[in-house]
Amino acid sequence: MKALTRMKIMLTILILGLAVLPVLLSDTPWPVQARDYLFETAKSDTGADNTVSAIYLGYRAMDTLGETLVLLVSITGTMSILINLGRNKVDEESIGFSLEPEKLPRHSLRTNLIEVVASKLGPIVLLFGLYVMLYGHISPGGGFQGGVIVASGIVFLALGTELKTKLTNTIVLSRIESLSFLFLVLASISGVFFESGFFGNPVKSLQNISPNFIILLNIIIGMKVGTSIAVMCIAMMGGSHDH
Amino acid sequence: MIMHILILGLILALGVFTLASRDLLHSVIALSAISMLSALLFTILRAPDVAITEAAVGAGVSTVIFVWAIRHTQRRDEEES
Amino acid sequence: MIIERILIFLLFIIGFAAIVAMPNIIKKIFGLNLMNAAVVLLFILEGSRIGDQAPILGDGVKHIVDPIPQALMLTAIVIGVCVSALALALAVRLYKATGSLDINVITKRLESEH
Repeated sequence: MKALTRMKIMLTILILGLAVLPVLLSDTPWPVQARDYLFETAKSDTGADNTVSAIYLGYRAMDTLGETLVLLVSITGTMSILINLGRNKVDEESIGFSLEPEKLPRHSLRTNLIEVVASKLGPIVLLFGLYVMLYGHISPGGGFQGGVIVASGIVFLALGTELKTKLTNTIVLSRIESLSFLFLVLASISGVFFESGFFGNPVKSLQNISPNFIILLNIIIGMKVGTSIAVMCIAMMGGSHDH
Repeated sequence: MIMHILILGLILALGVFTLASRDLLHSVIALSAISMLSALLFTILRAPDVAITEAAVGAGVSTVIFVWAIRHTQRRDEEES
Repeated sequence: MIIERILIFLLFIIGFAAIVAMPNIIKKIFGLNLMNAAVVLLFILEGSRIGDQAPILGDGVKHIVDPIPQALMLTAIVIGVCVSALALALAVRLYKATGSLDINVITKRLESEH
């Protein structure tokens, strides 16, 4: 029985190897027409210096909408499984790392180091995340990157401080997430009313395209990604009770 | 060229260690190290956007969720026959 | 050039072998992450051969790297972490329902409950 299973596994891996092998052995050169075209016209079509931002927020913004939808669905699914996990019984050991300051027994592994470092580094990481989010059109960065860094900053604040601020409240954060998705849908439809097509720039002047639309999309996507990942992480650490 | 081969070889060795280790927490730390080396390789290959995303997501969010999952299940990979 | 491709191919095969052959559920999810990392590395590696400067336009930038694979891989990385998060939540739920992380033991215990 064990030998038959082992042979089946070997056969599966061999078939996959043979299927992927032509990718390794091909020597056709990578095509350069797309790179040349984008080098000429990316700045005049969308107004962004960062070519990658111009692609996924300008030419292919539909993919970004789909990815935001995938993020929304997966975080909703994870949260619904998480909330039902701790409903049966509450064991004393799992409160040791949770965030409710009144219920926090002095767990032996929770030293002063976490509170001092995390609460002092939290605002700096939030500031850096906002910078990366807002300067996405002229330097590397953008909505996703800034959003994930802001989520890390919120997790730092939640781990470190003893206060209950609105920034670590899961109800407030999930409301911001839902509103951001609504704003994204509204921003994508607004191009239709100004004859620019779906996801088009609603303000198209003739002289030079200003990157305002890309900045707006960056802010909306950054808020959405940041708050949804922060809600998931805070709920995983046990802080999903009402404040 | 030699840098690419060196970093890829290190990533491969860490990948084998991730799967062969009995302690799941060691595997999670190795997975986070793979993300960091990937981010370094992306910077060398002139892809700064992908490097920032991989560093923030791989070494930040992914490690947090894996450590949470190990905490609520077992930490050792026991052999049950 | 062929050596780098072979190393990435080996990483892909190791990730796939982890999904198929390892009995622990968490190790299967490790395999998913490794396969994701291998594909992203392959795309960025292939796209960087045709230029030598980062794709940020400015003064003195003439020969940029192909920016299209980088835009695709941004989406791929975020979706990979979403899939991992959902898979881990399901794995923890399975553990709470049956008490083990071994896929054969879980199958036996779930069958014997019906």
